[in-house]
Amino acid sequence: MTPTAGLPDTQGAQRAPGLRGWLLMAPLLAWLGAFVVAPTLIMLVYSFCDRDELGQVVFTFSWSNYARVFDPTYLKILLKSVYYAAITTAICLVVGYPVAYWVGRAPERVRNKLLALIMIPFWTSFLIRTYAWMTILKSEGPLNSLLLYLGMISTPLDILYTPTAVVIGLVYSYLPFMILPIYGSVEKLDNALVEAAFDLGAGPVRAFSNVIAPLTRPGIVAGVMLVFIPAIGMFAITDLMGGARVPMIGNVIQNQFGQARDWPFGAALGMTVLLLFAATFWLTTKKDPSAT
Amino acid sequence: MNRRLFGLIFLLGIVFGCKDKPAPTAASASPGPSGSGAPTAEKPKPGKELNLFAWSEYVPQEVVDGFSKETGIKVNYETYASNEEMLSKLLAGGTNYDLIQPSEYVIEALVKQKKLAPIDWSLVPNFKNIDPKLKGLPHDPENKFSVPWMTGTVGIVVNTDKIKDPIKGYKDVFQKKYKGRIVSLNDSREMVAWALEASGLKSNDITTENLAKVKPMLAEWVKLVKVFDSDSPKTAFLNGDVDIGVVWSGEAALLYQNNKKFAYILPEEGAHLFIDSLAIPDSAPNKVGAMMFMDYILKPEVSKLISEKFPYTNPNLEARKLLTPEQLANPASYPPAGERETFRDIGKISSEVDKLVTDLKASN
Repeated sequence: MTPTAGLPDTQGAQRAPGLRGWLLMAPLLAWLGAFVVAPTLIMLVYSFCDRDELGQVVFTFSWSNYARVFDPTYLKILLKSVYYAAITTAICLVVGYPVAYWVGRAPERVRNKLLALIMIPFWTSFLIRTYAWMTILKSEGPLNSLLLYLGMISTPLDILYTPTAVVIGLVYSYLPFMILPIYGSVEKLDNALVEAAFDLGAGPVRAFSNVIAPLTRPGIVAGVMLVFIPAIGMFAITDLMGGARVPMIGNVIQNQFGQARDWPFGAALGMTVLLLFAATFWLTTKKDPSAT
Repeated sequence: MNRRLFGLIFLLGIVFGCKDKPAPTAASASPGPSGSGAPTAEKPKPGKELNLFAWSEYVPQEVVDGFSKETGIKVNYETYASNEEMLSKLLAGGTNYDLIQPSEYVIEALVKQKKLAPIDWSLVPNFKNIDPKLKGLPHDPENKFSVPWMTGTVGIVVNTDKIKDPIKGYKDVFQKKYKGRIVSLNDSREMVAWALEASGLKSNDITTENLAKVKPMLAEWVKLVKVFDSDSPKTAFLNGDVDIGVVWSGEAALLYQNNKKFAYILPEEGAHLFIDSLAIPDSAPNKVGAMMFMDYILKPEVSKLISEKFPYTNPNLEARKLLTPEQLANPASYPPAGERETFRDIGKISSEVDKLVTDLKASN
């Protein structure tokens, strides 16, 4: 099938990349360098600087920004952010797994349509969808009107601008990121293995915990990572749906680059969070060599 | 299928990633466009584009469109929600703003730092329409750098259907019984000023000792607030999520227009006046275009449009003659005359103000 002339090159690609390999990778490397490495280095430099009265960065060297990061106030916010992100991840997993499983086991024709349904919300801007949620949840919004009409509540529920609203917003935004990787694993799941589990006398619970869950584990791990890490840093949802009152670490960092005009401190916070992510990632991949 | 799926996830990641972390992109983009517009500067002819950086909910689209139609200059309109946010972006460099809309104390600071370009008044003849009382004020004593856009006060809005108690000042707003029913501007300098005024101090008396003095009071206040919003605090009132709050007078005037149940009260402890003006950063590539815009908005009929959409106090006396008696009777737009302080530049201690409020909100 492959033209013979192409063969040596394909084999060459297995070894250390040659000139052609580097050329092919060049766009990616340039992208990473310009938009990941360089900004990170700028942030690293800023994090040791100071600010002047107008908020411009003054180039000195001090550890004071990092000292402020470890102030209990900010550590508490970091813990709170991890807490909300963990709740979000847990809800996404509980809600998303059955959906992903069901979609993955559906006949192929139906499957693609179901996948499209999961993707359709992405056709509109994320901010518009967040404002839509605010309209639904507000005191005089459709949700409260409906519940009042049905007589299920006597006074409007206070949801918008509370942590509950923030978690609703986070789960809504990140659910597809949980469903898609799990779906990928479920789709590859060999039905014969599941049938074998039942033939050998396992009940549905045992078949799930001993066979299905371990086989779809890579999808679960990927989904958890894709939801948990961005959820910690999210600030738009907390600003809009939490009334700028439920601070998460992402809000505090964003605020330093806007209102508070303290870029060096914002950079120090950002670098600290980045290091935490890197350390967590390194620890999880080290423990589990199969997850590559 | 699997590879396609991962490609999909990767794309989603990019789409979402951008929303998550604008900071690095902003930083990396900053070195790029800086010098690009420079060659057109200082020429008598205006540039083809005007980059307007202004408060959100302050510049009606009709005015922007009208200016483009009249002059053929395309206006790129970007918004901010606090003076500090604007400063942060402006001073980070790499921006091309031709026109900014700072409040008086920020103009004072920018003038001190020589960051504003002087205005050539021969290009802005309509400046004569501005109330003489607003000329020669401390932030721009020689009228060299700024053209007043709107002035206003910061005061209390009460939904009188829900709150029957008499409300007179800041201390009546920030009470335990209204916890979770309060909206506040998301603005550090303002909040500190309210606390100072409520403690019998002047809004400009910002010293380390005074900040320490008002800190416990502010800490209490921050806990009671349900929404911090400088963009559009009226929304929380209209949605029924709050019943009382401290907001810009223009927002209060819109609420009053919407329904008379929204009363506007100037705090008895002391209210201050703000003067938002147009000014030209010295790095602006299209200074001539910026001055043409200034002159355009000073035309009485254009200024009237702005007042209709955003009913703050109009500093343009010719435009005020075109307003209806009803508009002039709006207590939030045209409150009773009185001596009111304006914010002054407080220099280096502004970083302590930012830090105080950041920490209080963070520990909430």
